[in-house]
Amino acid sequence: MPFLKKIYRWLNVRIGADEILEQELTGYRLPANINGWYSLGSVLLFALALQVVSGILLLVYYVPDADKAFASVTAIMNQVPFGWLIRMCHAVGSNLMVLVLILHMLSVLFMGSYKRPRELSWLSGFMLLNLVMAISLTGYLLPWSQLSFWATTVATNSFGAIPVVGGFLVEFLRGGKLVGPQTLGRFFALHVALIPLGIGALVGLHLFLLKRVGVSAPPFGLSDTGNQWQGDRYRYEDHPDGIPFFPNFVVKDLISICLYLAFLLLVVFFNPFIFFPKDAFIPANPFQTPAHIKPEWYFLANYQTLKIFPSELLGLTAQGVAMTFLALLPFIDRGRERHPLKRPLFLACSIGGIAVWIGLTIWGHYS
Amino acid sequence: MDISSRRKFLTVSLAALATAAGGATLYPLFRYLAPSRSAESGQKITLQLADIPEGGAKYFELNGTAAVLVKSKSGSLAAFSAVCTHLGCIVQWQKGQDQFLCPCHGGLFSVAGAVLAGPPPKPLEKLPFVVSGDSIVVG
Repeated sequence: MPFLKKIYRWLNVRIGADEILEQELTGYRLPANINGWYSLGSVLLFALALQVVSGILLLVYYVPDADKAFASVTAIMNQVPFGWLIRMCHAVGSNLMVLVLILHMLSVLFMGSYKRPRELSWLSGFMLLNLVMAISLTGYLLPWSQLSFWATTVATNSFGAIPVVGGFLVEFLRGGKLVGPQTLGRFFALHVALIPLGIGALVGLHLFLLKRVGVSAPPFGLSDTGNQWQGDRYRYEDHPDGIPFFPNFVVKDLISICLYLAFLLLVVFFNPFIFFPKDAFIPANPFQTPAHIKPEWYFLANYQTLKIFPSELLGLTAQGVAMTFLALLPFIDRGRERHPLKRPLFLACSIGGIAVWIGLTIWGHYS
Repeated sequence: MDISSRRKFLTVSLAALATAAGGATLYPLFRYLAPSRSAESGQKITLQLADIPEGGAKYFELNGTAAVLVKSKSGSLAAFSAVCTHLGCIVQWQKGQDQFLCPCHGGLFSVAGAVLAGPPPKPLEKLPFVVSGDSIVVG
């Protein structure tokens, strides 16, 4: 211990470690009425780190070649010691990350934390949701199974409904007229390089905005639940009477991370193939389309929307309108009130929207 | 139990838990990344005598490393690890001279694997082999 203290002292006199710790940990105050939902951001950072680490480990054995990809994934699952654990953590982790991301978004939505001056935080978070879905979609093709191949065929095909450029866009995404080895190369590059870079940059921006604007107080248990922002000049929202980030909120973060990890391992150990239909275990065959091919659960609502509209263009437009509305929500909803129970129109619309999304997802699953 | 001993107990318990969790994470990681040993030991390879010309050599992979079987001008056979004992380059058979040359730093080995010149500190590692009829089993 004295040796560690010596190292710390050596650092402290050079970079002022005491000051940084005071400023970022014990002196960094959060609202006194903060709740567990606020720790979902930390859970997401942990989940992202887990995806990055397990993804790098999978790269050690995965071969991004259409002739060898399926065999390399099979070898990871059956021959490499603990390969199944790494792959299952990556595959199940990606699903859980989308789930936590949606929950994080819903908590921000219901607590009115997206309201000004946090429009940029909402927008960067919304873009992160889209990028996480894109990285999941591109990763889906990599095992080169029947499921991968045909789910990617259906997903890329839907871009064809866009007028004028649709056909070109589909071909550009696939690198050819049909999904093939050239698509695998493109999706692999997107999955392991381009999209992770975008996610890293946006996470950095999201955290920067959080530090600059400050944490919003939950609207529960307060007499005035209105937005306090004046809009005349930049103000950091501080909470001098709040709780310190360390140790108080770090413990809350750790509890949430442990719960996430417990749930992840529960699925990995006891029901690892919950996200794997039988077509995920058959190598891709470009000449044989399996029956009832379905996308991942978080794309089922989009899939069903495309099916219920009379034309694919209408379905895509409806989705585009819904997504644009969600992205621009802080600019549309400009009311001061933040408490969900004091915003009946918001509450009705959001509960209705969630119900429609869940309904479409279930319908898509059974259709 | 006073506060300080309770605190110490909790600290030690937490440290033990963290160590166990760390071990449970690092062990699968190590096993995942460690090279597979089962396929790299005790391997035998069968070669055809007719494939090796008089004064020639045949390179092959054995137990995950490079090996060579040579037939000297006099007709005698020898099998070696083809890995130079200096810095691990693959030695090349000099057909006319009946010797191995390591192209990296100029090490020279005789047809019996002995160091003739250059920096290699040890002779080439000899590999066991058995001739049965028209074939040779190395390993």
